[in-house]
Amino acid sequence: MAELGQAAIWLSVFSCLWALMMLWMGVHHSNYNAVISGRKGILATFALITLATGALIYGFVTNDFSMRYVVEVSSYDQPLMYKVTALWGRMSGSLLFWLWLVTLFGALVVWTNRRATDHLADYALIPMAIVQLFFIILVTGLVEGVYNPLDRLPNGAVARDGAGMNPLLQTPSMVFHPPALYVGFVSLTVPFAFAVGALAAGKIGSEWINRSRRWMMASWLVLTVGITLGGNWAYRELGWGGYWAWDPVENASFMPWLLGTAYLHSVMIQEKRNMLKLWNLILITLAFEFTLLGTFITRSGIITSVHAFAQSDIGGYFLGFICLSTLGVLGLLAYRWNDLKSPNRLESLLSRESAFLLNNWMLVGLTLIILWGTLWPIITEQVTGEKAAVPEEFFNQVVIIPGLLLLLLTGAGPIISWKKLTPSNFKRMFAKPIVCGVIGGILTWAYLAWKGHTTPIYSTLCVFASVFVLVAIFDEFYRGSKLRAKRSETSLFDGLGQLIQRNKRRYGGYIVHIGIVIVYVGILGSKGYFLLESKGLQLGESMEIDNYTLTMQDAFQEEHPNFSLGGVVFAVEKDGKSMGTMRPARGFYHKAGQGEQDTIESSIRHLGLNDLYIALGPLPQNVPAHVDSGGIVSVQVYHNPLVNVVWFGVAIMMIGGLVAICEKPVKGEV
Amino acid sequence: MNRRRVKIIIASFILAAAMTFLVVAGVQQTSMRHFTPDALVAHAQEVHNRSIQVDGLIAEGTTQWDPTAFKLAFAVRDRDGKAKVNVIYANKLRPDNFKDGGNVFVQGKYNASENLIVATKLQTKCASKYEAADGMTAQTGGADTSDY
Repeated sequence: MAELGQAAIWLSVFSCLWALMMLWMGVHHSNYNAVISGRKGILATFALITLATGALIYGFVTNDFSMRYVVEVSSYDQPLMYKVTALWGRMSGSLLFWLWLVTLFGALVVWTNRRATDHLADYALIPMAIVQLFFIILVTGLVEGVYNPLDRLPNGAVARDGAGMNPLLQTPSMVFHPPALYVGFVSLTVPFAFAVGALAAGKIGSEWINRSRRWMMASWLVLTVGITLGGNWAYRELGWGGYWAWDPVENASFMPWLLGTAYLHSVMIQEKRNMLKLWNLILITLAFEFTLLGTFITRSGIITSVHAFAQSDIGGYFLGFICLSTLGVLGLLAYRWNDLKSPNRLESLLSRESAFLLNNWMLVGLTLIILWGTLWPIITEQVTGEKAAVPEEFFNQVVIIPGLLLLLLTGAGPIISWKKLTPSNFKRMFAKPIVCGVIGGILTWAYLAWKGHTTPIYSTLCVFASVFVLVAIFDEFYRGSKLRAKRSETSLFDGLGQLIQRNKRRYGGYIVHIGIVIVYVGILGSKGYFLLESKGLQLGESMEIDNYTLTMQDAFQEEHPNFSLGGVVFAVEKDGKSMGTMRPARGFYHKAGQGEQDTIESSIRHLGLNDLYIALGPLPQNVPAHVDSGGIVSVQVYHNPLVNVVWFGVAIMMIGGLVAICEKPVKGEV
Repeated sequence: MNRRRVKIIIASFILAAAMTFLVVAGVQQTSMRHFTPDALVAHAQEVHNRSIQVDGLIAEGTTQWDPTAFKLAFAVRDRDGKAKVNVIYANKLRPDNFKDGGNVFVQGKYNASENLIVATKLQTKCASKYEAADGMTAQTGGADTSDY
């Protein structure tokens, strides 16, 4: 199978080149037969890469330890699910997976545009094929620093067993987090390809935006899920009680998300007011380039990260491709410069247009700030010769003001009028949210003061903004539903249904805004008001956090196929009332690359919106024996308020996004 | 150029200036130098009592964990050189993958006279975690590559 897969990869070089050539000739000379042939080339590339990916998965499932990649990431006793996910466990495999996704999306573009009457999609397939070719070359193993994932071990060697995947990755959220990020990243290629295609074709209207809108929204949604799953994984697996640390790799996934969000907003201005054509093209290009930049940052080893991917030359190839593709787009922009001017201008600084513009400014500004912080070690080393870095605190500190402004905009944007804000519009739309926001801010401040917390100003501002946004948006829903209900003489609830039904994109978007507010509230609570207690405990001893008492009652040991779990049992009491037990543990993995490895297996108890979170320090393998002989267990307990609100908020965002994506594309779109 | 356009340009300029100020102020307050243990020892006096970052390996046999006091003590050694720097990390759990000879990233305040970092943040990465350096195959990855 491995040889078959290798042959498929080599053949795909030709099918991809074929597609590229035929599509180019086809659209250039309006030769329909060539276009059809080019499309078939795209489909053939997809089939070939699917075959190669299938061959690798087959190797995993059949424990083919003559294959180098299988030996490195899989082992006999690895559960089947993790054997399959080992596909993206390391670099070679994840590049193949990335490639497979680009070819899949290429095939989907062919399929969904098979009845299109123009050549826009065919133009878009050209940049897609170029991206495919780049990844195909990487996985052939021709370039230094990355080997073909279907290579066998040298000299016909067969390993007795594989090294196995890192235990930290053997958890359900790691099954979904990397592919979600990959799908999100890679699907951004499609709107980007449409943008480039539109530029090449000289059709810089709203058509390309229309045609790629669902791709863009799907990409944004999946990226949101991917980022959240990563945070959730860190929270549950790493044992430090948090979910976001501004790690370079986290930043690398967050920056395309911010740019994608900016783009989703700015295209609305182009559609409504025919402005910002150039800006939209630049934004989508940036978003795409940042997905590659993320890979460059994570793979080149230039920056220290918890993700610790290999340091390899592959970063250089990515950097080269980023530069070349950016130059290509710039060239096209220069070529079409005269078509990019907008007939309309901004009329007032207080208008929905400028709210959108400010939103874009903030999102792009945040991206640049995060980029600056992430690349700071490189910048300082290049400029001063001394490497310096900024810690988490830098990011926490600098994102507050832009973050709060963005939060305000999620409420102000939807209610401010187009063209120019008039005093009557202001009074009608803004008075209620502002008053409610002020009341909410004061009440929360008073409540926290009564609870004995000091409240920093940004926290009160965040509450004010959150209430403001919620009231503004609910008011929008209420007003709209009432109008609909009155017009069709139905109940308010039916009116709401009709309202959303009629304009899914707009009201779906507002639901996303509600989700965003909820996420902010969750972040404020869990980052600003968590408690942490650390203590060494013997059997029978207890510790306290907030108004909970935790007593170490017992120890346990469990055997699993590829690891054993040893931990302790805590009786949890709140104000003297029993709340059941919690079982934090350590996992001992028998096979983990270099010998044995033990991991924190924290125990998390959801208490309403808050979490109680227990993690244990290092323990000997036989935990019950250690505990029974009076051994000390080091226990770290977090009380994380509102952390579940974060996940809930993301779920609301998902619902909103799904509503919005249901909006039927306008005519001409497939 | 009409007045509206001027207003918009001024507003954009103010925003850009504000953002730049945020970043510059943030960097000035938080930026810390990043060293290898060798370089840190060489520049010890310059960064006495300052926050710094060190990237090195966990020196073999130096790790001590006091479960009662909740204190981790170890030394971080240079990858290529001889220098060692002592580290104390208290009131937090040590991260997973923390083992002799493993990669470690330490952030904290450095005391030059004691050659000691009181760490606020520790990060580990297992050499085998995702990808061995190129050319390092399964032999060093723990699996037995024999010819049968």
